[in-house]
Amino acid sequence: MKQTQLDPKLIIGGIIIFFLLFLVLFQPLLNKAIIGDTNPLTVGIFPMYEPPSLRHPLGTDRFGRDILALTLLSLKYSLIVGAIAGAISTIIGIIVGFSAGYKGGLIDTILRGLTDTILVIPSLPILMILSAYVKALNILTMAIILTIFSWPFSARVIRSQVMSIKNAFYVDLAKINNMSDFEIIALEILPNLLPFLGVSFAGSVVGAMLAATGLEVLGLGPSGITTLGMMINFAIGQGALSMGKWNLIFPPIFMLVLVFLGVQLVNMGLESTYNPRLRR
Amino acid sequence: MEEILKIENLKIYYRNVSGLAKAVDGVYLNVYPNEILGIAGESGSGKTTMISGLVRLVKPPAYIPEGSIFLNYKRNGDLLKVDLLKISENEMRDFRWKIISYIPQGSMNSLNPVLRIKDQMIDVILEHSDRSREEAESMVPNLLRSVNLEPNVADLYPHELSGGMKQRVIIAMALALNPKVVIADEPTTALDVVSQMSVLSTLYQVCRKVNASLILVTHDMAVHAQLTDRVAIMYAGKIVEVGRTTEVFKKPFHPYTKALLLSIPTIEGEPRRLEGISGLAPSPTNWPRGCRFHPRCPYSKEVCKEREPEMIEFGPGHYVSCFLYGGE
Amino acid sequence: MPSLLELKNVSKIFYGAKGRRVRAVDKVNFSLQKEEPQIISLVGESGSGKTTIARMILGLLPPTEGGIYYLDKDIYAMDKNERKEFRREVQAVFQDPYGIYNPFYRVDRVLEIPIKKFNLATSKEDSQRLITEALEAVGLRPKDIIGKYPHQLSGGERQRVMLARLYLLKPKLIVADEPISMIDVALRALFLNILLDFKNKYGISCIFITHDLSSAYYLGENLIILYKGRIVERGKTNEILTNPYHPYTKLLIKALLPPDPEKRILTSIGSDVRLNEDIAPYKENSCHFANRCPSSMDICREKAPVAVKINEDHEVRCFLYDEKG
Repeated sequence: MKQTQLDPKLIIGGIIIFFLLFLVLFQPLLNKAIIGDTNPLTVGIFPMYEPPSLRHPLGTDRFGRDILALTLLSLKYSLIVGAIAGAISTIIGIIVGFSAGYKGGLIDTILRGLTDTILVIPSLPILMILSAYVKALNILTMAIILTIFSWPFSARVIRSQVMSIKNAFYVDLAKINNMSDFEIIALEILPNLLPFLGVSFAGSVVGAMLAATGLEVLGLGPSGITTLGMMINFAIGQGALSMGKWNLIFPPIFMLVLVFLGVQLVNMGLESTYNPRLRR
Repeated sequence: MEEILKIENLKIYYRNVSGLAKAVDGVYLNVYPNEILGIAGESGSGKTTMISGLVRLVKPPAYIPEGSIFLNYKRNGDLLKVDLLKISENEMRDFRWKIISYIPQGSMNSLNPVLRIKDQMIDVILEHSDRSREEAESMVPNLLRSVNLEPNVADLYPHELSGGMKQRVIIAMALALNPKVVIADEPTTALDVVSQMSVLSTLYQVCRKVNASLILVTHDMAVHAQLTDRVAIMYAGKIVEVGRTTEVFKKPFHPYTKALLLSIPTIEGEPRRLEGISGLAPSPTNWPRGCRFHPRCPYSKEVCKEREPEMIEFGPGHYVSCFLYGGE
Repeated sequence: MPSLLELKNVSKIFYGAKGRRVRAVDKVNFSLQKEEPQIISLVGESGSGKTTIARMILGLLPPTEGGIYYLDKDIYAMDKNERKEFRREVQAVFQDPYGIYNPFYRVDRVLEIPIKKFNLATSKEDSQRLITEALEAVGLRPKDIIGKYPHQLSGGERQRVMLARLYLLKPKLIVADEPISMIDVALRALFLNILLDFKNKYGISCIFITHDLSSAYYLGENLIILYKGRIVERGKTNEILTNPYHPYTKLLIKALLPPDPEKRILTSIGSDVRLNEDIAPYKENSCHFANRCPSSMDICREKAPVAVKINEDHEVRCFLYDEKG
């Protein structure tokens, strides 16, 4: 008997994520609608410190930039950085997690040692130092730096999932069919972990975004673009808090909250769909 | 003799992705005091669903569209009769463990791993009776002895016991409050042959000692042969044959019963080629038209495809529903 | 003499927490001959080591001591080609008709993969034909099976598809680990008959692992009784069951419930047979059955018994029959 009832958390979270993706995909068009063909980063186009109005729904900042357009662009870049970091992280996590989980023994011990060591290192100070020293901090380098500390999380979790499946009887059958280890991992175990890996990837993306935001708020962000964290950094730098200009700082925070909320709701919704005992 | 349980036209249905599954589709059955009644049938026959209905543990999406389960019992000297399907959940709770006890399949694995045996037994007694903790505690050693376990088992944890021992603890708990009817669903699957023997003989002894009726559900015909007074054969949601066990085994009426008996391997007697039952078990969402066994029956006739046979008494206390015995 | 399969002094030790050692399999020896196909039943309860032995024979678990040889080659020291041949010729059917299928794929895959991996077909049509033939050979209708997912079939159908897989492969040896304990009685008879047909019609040998003496009796031929990792009695099935020597064998036979209401043993069981489960730990250097044995003697707790030959077809390991002990 298959229960086809979808948990409402899953639906709401899904809507939020679709909404955010929509914003990102259509950012160029939306940008055009708000400020025409201008790049939102260009300074001096619009009047400074405009309060929210019909023309500029969220007002403008110290450099005369439309906040709404800026927010949308920042959301896009934040997600891109997060997605790249999340993807690399998940791939490394898959390679390490599968190897350690499936092979066990010495390989497992070595990889686990490596994973645990990195997990123990305090990431933020190191990331700060790294970001400060890297000369040209662009999206890719930022993503790579973030990956250094986030891959162990996915590796650990993927490893335990693999370990729980590798003892399945159908894995025995695959061995009897003379399938190689690689074939077994790729064809027998991996497909059953796809939903799990999807969730793991989403988690990595959010983790990377939050770590990136932490760095960016401190001023350590990639140059030439804008991200949600950098917006917050600018806003604080422009005295948004002391001057009470909430329209400068609230939008990026709201977007971050939405991302986090969306992914969390989807996670919780998926968990309770697959584990009916958690359902109310 | 007045029956202690009278099941009339019991139906239990549920909806799944393939449609409406009529797992139990019109069962009539009596259970008499002090008897051991076996319910036999393959998986998919509906026997487990039916007995979950007997103790009103039918959970959605399954539901009971029709039927009655009459219980005749004594309370304070009065003879009372009640339809278990019509009373409230609170009233039903009063009957469970005290009048009707249920040992579900795999229940030995439902012992709480972090509690000692005696604490679990005491919990059950306290929850379903008005006894005090001291009284409950004093009952434990005797209960364990009654199922052939040493009293020191009380201080052990479930993981320290073997499967057979755990199952006997469950039996002790089920009989702690002297119920009138005990229902056991596949009590010995997943147990070794030797454990099976000890669990079954224990179950037999204890039920006889407290004068309880036992409804024993299993697909293992050898168990029915060894233990039961009467046996009911279930197929496709209905009872197709019921009668005294010695009669049903010696002179089976229904073709399905005959085929079942011919497919049991044994080490007694002449070696002969075992016969299976041709065809596949039907699906509860799509029972065959007419007699549900006709697609697999070597004796099926035209009428079997059109109409369902009635249950008739073809021998003393021996009922069968099959057109081979009349009813056309 | 070259054998089909041989186990030489095979032991498997598992290491648990706190340095606990469990000898799940203790110096087991047996072999299957190459000339004639044969069926040998390994009978034992849970904890006897039977599943561990099955996994070792199938190349899934290397033994801690001793060696397992297929056609005189150590299966854990084979090269790639030898391994492929081994896998082609030694196949299995398992107990659980649920867990054996990867829920992600359709059931056809279970038949397609062996065809692909062992080059059994020359073309897609050939492959389809083989699959259809195999399904029909075990009494299934191809259109009811092909394209379905595991959860859409019943346990009996799933187990029969596994038999179809064996029919496709026609290996030299089948290791069947409790293949009928989780399916219905009516299907069990069919399954056992198919195994017999495999031997008689296609020359396929079988190691049949079970806890049920009656199916071992039905299959006939040779029998090995296992208790806690050791072989306690072995020989021709008929001989052992009509003339059991080891107290454990006798207990197993006594515990068999005859499906005959006129022959009731349960209701008069009394306590003449010690049925208490054995949860006390036992020493390695003793007879593992001593704690439960109605005839145990002092020596049983001090030394491990060795095999004693009763006759050509019958061997037992028990101090009751060991004059030297």
